[in-house]
Amino acid sequence: MKDRTIARYEGVLKVTGQARYEGETSPEGLLHAALVESPVSCGELESLDASWATALRGFPTLVTHDDAASLKPSAATSLIREKAIHFHGQPVALVAAASLSEAREAAKAINVSIAARTALTQMDQALDQAYAPAMVGRFPAATRRGDSTRALGQAELVVRRSYTTAVNNHHPMEPHAVVCWWEGKKAVVHTCTQAIFGTRAIIAHAFEMPPADIRVLARYLGGGFGCKGQLWWPWMFWAMLASRKTDRPVRLELSRAQMFTLVGRRQETTQDLALGFVDGHLTAIEHDVVAQTSTHAEFSDSTAVYTRFLYACPNVTTRHRLVRTNEPQPVPMRAPGTAPGTFALESAMDEAAELLGIDPLELRLNNFADHDQENGRPWSSNSLRECYRVGAERFGWAERRTRSAAKIGRWKIGFGMATTLYPAIRQACRARVALRADGSLLVQCGTQDMGSGTYTALGQIAADALGLPMDKVTVELGDTDLPDGPFSGGSQVTASIFPAVDAATSKLRAVLTSIATSDPASPLGGKPPEDLEFADGMIRSRSGNAGERLTDVLARATSNGLEAEGEIPATDHQKLAATGMGYGAIFVEIGVDPELWEIRVRRVCGAFAAGHILNPLLARSQYIGGLIGGIGMALHEETVTDATTGSILGKSFTDYLIPVHADMPAFDIAMIDENDPHLPGGVKGIGMLGTAGIQAAIANAVNDAIGKRVRKLPIRIEDCL
Amino acid sequence: MSSASFNYVRATELTDALSQGKRPGAAYLAGGTDLLQLWKASLTAPQDVIDISRLPLADITRAGDRLVIGAMARLSDVAAHPEVKAGHPLICDAILASASGQVRNLATAGGNLLQRTRCPYFSDAGLACNKRDPGSGCGARDGENRHAVLFGGSSGCVATHASDLAVALAALDAEIAISSASGERQLALSDLYPLPGETTAPDSSLRPGEMITAIRIVGAERFAPHSTYLKIRDRASFEFAVVSVAAALRIEDGVIAEARLAAGGVASLPWRLGRSEAALIGRAPTEQAFAAAGELAIEGARPLEGNAFKIPLLRNAVIRALQTAGDQS
Repeated sequence: MKDRTIARYEGVLKVTGQARYEGETSPEGLLHAALVESPVSCGELESLDASWATALRGFPTLVTHDDAASLKPSAATSLIREKAIHFHGQPVALVAAASLSEAREAAKAINVSIAARTALTQMDQALDQAYAPAMVGRFPAATRRGDSTRALGQAELVVRRSYTTAVNNHHPMEPHAVVCWWEGKKAVVHTCTQAIFGTRAIIAHAFEMPPADIRVLARYLGGGFGCKGQLWWPWMFWAMLASRKTDRPVRLELSRAQMFTLVGRRQETTQDLALGFVDGHLTAIEHDVVAQTSTHAEFSDSTAVYTRFLYACPNVTTRHRLVRTNEPQPVPMRAPGTAPGTFALESAMDEAAELLGIDPLELRLNNFADHDQENGRPWSSNSLRECYRVGAERFGWAERRTRSAAKIGRWKIGFGMATTLYPAIRQACRARVALRADGSLLVQCGTQDMGSGTYTALGQIAADALGLPMDKVTVELGDTDLPDGPFSGGSQVTASIFPAVDAATSKLRAVLTSIATSDPASPLGGKPPEDLEFADGMIRSRSGNAGERLTDVLARATSNGLEAEGEIPATDHQKLAATGMGYGAIFVEIGVDPELWEIRVRRVCGAFAAGHILNPLLARSQYIGGLIGGIGMALHEETVTDATTGSILGKSFTDYLIPVHADMPAFDIAMIDENDPHLPGGVKGIGMLGTAGIQAAIANAVNDAIGKRVRKLPIRIEDCL
Repeated sequence: MSSASFNYVRATELTDALSQGKRPGAAYLAGGTDLLQLWKASLTAPQDVIDISRLPLADITRAGDRLVIGAMARLSDVAAHPEVKAGHPLICDAILASASGQVRNLATAGGNLLQRTRCPYFSDAGLACNKRDPGSGCGARDGENRHAVLFGGSSGCVATHASDLAVALAALDAEIAISSASGERQLALSDLYPLPGETTAPDSSLRPGEMITAIRIVGAERFAPHSTYLKIRDRASFEFAVVSVAAALRIEDGVIAEARLAAGGVASLPWRLGRSEAALIGRAPTEQAFAAAGELAIEGARPLEGNAFKIPLLRNAVIRALQTAGDQS
């Protein structure tokens, strides 16, 4: 498979406003919906008084828990079926009106009566009530290999530290929206989702209807980062119920403020870490995580999971526990687990290097894990040491001793580095390719493009396989009328679509080859198929001059074009012969004003090894986007709950700081191409890698600059005093 | 009419605007960068919105030692104006540290002085805030108060004033011209902003229907060679000050003849640092003199749980601003 720099397939459509996002769908007779929110964070909804609201102009419909009683009980419907209040701002009803302003005004005019109970609004109020979940994602929550207690007792050096990370919110540019209607017993749902088929399945479950009667569309997404998933479903269901009740299309779009409470968050963590060393080698690691979840659902990031893999160490104990609070529910957020987890582990490694008096990079090389020690099997490929080498060289890490702690203008300079990693996984996937008589190619797969380049990747894989230029390719995705594709999460879409598209194009190639070689009238008649290649819109002989255009080959058999489907089944990653993992080494230079304690990232070098890179242009963009998210987590982003009311404070971009252009450092991205024989196409996911490691690299650089070790995120002015 | 609706009137004459503005529930709309957000967040619900952005009050003029900035002048125009750049660089510095380019293109000088606080308890209608709902209490005092005041707070309000421009103008002893249907009056800028009470915390001392028509700065060009605006924040742009300092010196024969210092992000108004100023007069612009001014700047600071870091930050910011101003020539 070739790697090619191809500009984004849908780029022109997006920058010219022609890409229509699902929330922009505006069918005839559309009603606009708004949510009524709970003013308390714990209690029981007693009643809704809508009498004043119903007198307002344009107020046709109120949808409440009573309407949702017809839905099948499940985790996805509990918040709209059960009247318990779990967090401040929890919707207690939906109103639909002729205009958005009328809907919002009606929502405000509804009097909500709630029997309030004492709320628990801060995780640290209830650390004694922490409990252990069974699983963290697809990993066990607690693991133990060897005997870390004993090894820590025998270690020459023990580094024992606590680290904390704040709540973050995802905040894609495009807020969640749904435009839905019913066509008889069938439902049409235009919505922002990272999983159209998952959304269809949950609608089918809740409304007890056949999946085939539901069409879910998400053809463009303005970002997802993990929040366009299950927490959106209850509010989407209410919109669907409003549509059924009124027999009109209904649109619900969340406000930016609601994006802080209704669709998930990165959970806060407190992490206790102990590292034991003998002779500069890790002999023990204990990583203990306490994190927040809500009172209505359970979620734990795989925060300590990466500690099981990253370093060679015979004695490793990890544990995750959760504390329930009356705050919004967490979900995975870009680099879930690995971002907070590597912050702790890679900060502690830096602290250890300092205590051991050796270079942090050397300490990591000394403790490189040459196989997956947790599962006792080889890596499918692992170029982490190459990442360290290339990154250090491009960054100029060797100058650390002389250049860091120098002053440039008002800035004291600090260098820091850290490692990032994320598993290479894939899902079941089906894809269809259709070569038309005019030589154009249609590629279809029911996955989504969050804005990261799935359109381009789908088109590119198919175009390359058939030797066609990209401008001959049309890509369709984001529609459950298409073959089932993977959900967009876990950095695995490209790895999943590749084998499916590859299988489909292989079938098509076989048929086309057969048409050409079996027809004596073709210039390729009688040629051995293994001698033929697809290139430049032709099938050509590799050894001679013979060749025929694809359109001409096709015309020999049919005037209707040809199509083929490919499929990859679900993978049981635990049963594979080798563990797939992507890696990166992040090097940063920061400046800290030693008297005013402002922190600015000056430059970042990320060297990543994540299998075969299909499209370096898109990969670079995704790495940089990931790193920017990581800078936000490291220095800016923090969602704060008011302890008294349980309300999220400052629900706007005025208060919730994210990096702006002026905060952007110079980025240098190095991609180390791997030839991974274990993975289809050698493809690993890259979406998470940029967003982990950078937090610790920044914290380590702050320490390098001003000798201040900050063990919390975000790192703010007051932490550098 | 619904509460989300309002009557919109575009005023073309000042007298017309003032007579409409005296109606209860009327609000003046200039750049709209603050009012529109407040309205969208249901924090204000004017019945009548009087658009004054087209009133002929946008001129920036200099006559003798007097600079007059029309209240409707856009911030970006003020900062780009040759007379302001040459004679009052402190004003340019403060404006260019404010908001973003897009916001500065819309926001007006007068409106900037009257922007509401950015305290997160003010900006959420569900939370206690005496500034928004007199008598409802102050959620920030015992809640999240990283951004709260060090000086002049009360049990009823600890919110800071958000304007950078006001801090620079306070240092330059600016005056504002105010008009209403019943006449005109002048006010020292520092008198525009009252300290909070126990159950009320008005943002300004403007009376209903009054409008700022101009900002006047007299005799401030003498500070042009030695002035600076220092703004400290968590990110490099588009954020309100954690702490800011406007410093202006007149140095004569190697001695500080006059000093002006005002701090932002530490009080409900631009906080003049009078003791620091007095201590600088007659001294050479040395590290020792600046350090002493820094120490005096934080006298009387009363921190809350989350904002004690602003005390050393303010001290160091005063020192840094004085170093920067003192180094210029």
